[in-house]
Amino acid sequence: MRKYADLAIIGTKEHTAYLNSVWANFLAKIVYLYMQFSLWNALFSSNAGRNIPLSHDETIRYIIAATLISTFMECDVTMWINGQIQSGDVANQLIRPIDYRIMIFAKHIGTSAVKLLIYTLPFGILTALFYHDDLFCKEQLLYGILSIILAYMIQFLYSLIIGLMAFWLIVTWPLNMLLAAVYKLLSGSWIPAAMFPKLLTTINMFLPFRAIYAIPVTIITTPMSPGSIRENLCFQLIWLAVLFLLSEVTWITGKNKLIVQGG
Amino acid sequence: MSIEVNNLTKIYKLKRRQKKTAVDNISFSIPAGEIVGFIGPNGAGKSTTIKMMTGILIPDRGSISIDGLTFRKNRKQIMMKTGVVFGQKSVLCWDIPVIDSLKLFKDMYRVPDDVFKENMDSFSNILGLDEFIRQPPRLLSLGQRMKADLAASLIYDPDILFLDEPTIGIDVLSKERIRQFIKKINEERHTTVILTTHDVSDIETLCEKMIIIDKGSLIYDETLSDLKNIYRTTDLEEIIKKIYLAGEEKNEKIC
Repeated sequence: MRKYADLAIIGTKEHTAYLNSVWANFLAKIVYLYMQFSLWNALFSSNAGRNIPLSHDETIRYIIAATLISTFMECDVTMWINGQIQSGDVANQLIRPIDYRIMIFAKHIGTSAVKLLIYTLPFGILTALFYHDDLFCKEQLLYGILSIILAYMIQFLYSLIIGLMAFWLIVTWPLNMLLAAVYKLLSGSWIPAAMFPKLLTTINMFLPFRAIYAIPVTIITTPMSPGSIRENLCFQLIWLAVLFLLSEVTWITGKNKLIVQGG
Repeated sequence: MSIEVNNLTKIYKLKRRQKKTAVDNISFSIPAGEIVGFIGPNGAGKSTTIKMMTGILIPDRGSISIDGLTFRKNRKQIMMKTGVVFGQKSVLCWDIPVIDSLKLFKDMYRVPDDVFKENMDSFSNILGLDEFIRQPPRLLSLGQRMKADLAASLIYDPDILFLDEPTIGIDVLSKERIRQFIKKINEERHTTVILTTHDVSDIETLCEKMIIIDKGSLIYDETLSDLKNIYRTTDLEEIIKKIYLAGEEKNEKIC
């Protein structure tokens, strides 16, 4: 167990190695939330809420919660793996007596823990200073936390699979850029998924993206029936299982394709 | 730990269905406790062979057995007993102090506290590790980084040590210290060392046995003194030049 704790600590130290980047990340989140806040306020004041499935207040709660969660949910795993495969440094990870994927997951947990402390906590306090209404639906908070944990694992597995595509493509950043845009839109991190047009909602029903932001954020911010909460948690569990199996297949087949770059 | 390599082959698939045989049906054995020089010209297939012997790459044909263990069945067991240093790729975490990487390996390889302390003291005495142990590798010189890499690969007392160009780009004095350190580790712990290098002095100082490959094929697998007898000279650099030149024309076994 200690080796995983060591890896998690290394993850925290690596994330905080460059203080300027920590500050830039934090400020970027504040600016992003301010832009979202201004945009939705302007939209609601010009439209008076017509044809919008969520109320003004629900939307503001959604975007605050989504931004708050994004402060620790965002995953650098794709870039790590891609960088290591591209440079050939992956060789140094494959000679270790523990699974490469578990090593990455342990480091990712450490990174997320430090992000919770240095981004989410101050960001939450800052938000509480300016937003005085109840942000979370207290009765559903436990389900919300469970849903966030599931979303965290889904997000990790999704990033892992895209990162492992480097076994075939060597460079995955163009694919990553494309998928990141699709992911940000469909996951509900930019726009609440409830506001999607019918076609997009139907497509999204069969994709894992809404399990990452839309479901957990909706559970913690919007009152839902117990049946609906169960249904959403089941959707997350199914996608977790599917992505886990996919990551296994990608890993086993990808490893055989490995060509270590740089001699 | 001894190593048995039988009919090892690795073929890389290139674009447009082209293929390149990087390692072509090579077999050799390395007894426990020996230091073996594994040499060949650039692109001969040395690094590919080392990467198969360390379980990083999967061979297309042939087998590798380490004390009777195979990567297919005993991967973790072999990894626990194997140390690897790639001269051009650091095993250390780039942005965090060297000591944190060493502590990670201590826990990963389940090194008892007293063994860890003893090894750290020994590495500090020979390699001067304590001078830069609290700095991240990105702030170290190449020589310091290589010493830290060696320490990281030996902190868990591996039975086999793979060294892929460990003295590349390093100054004369640091090279000498690294060689002495490898020799000492081999004598005291009977660690089997497989050394890949282009530096003739590394081979002269450390190796008794030599394995030479060219264009993926094994062309020599005997002692260093036998090789000198065959070519009737003690100038190893001259011998290697002749072998590589001959290899450019045709690939024949040296005997």
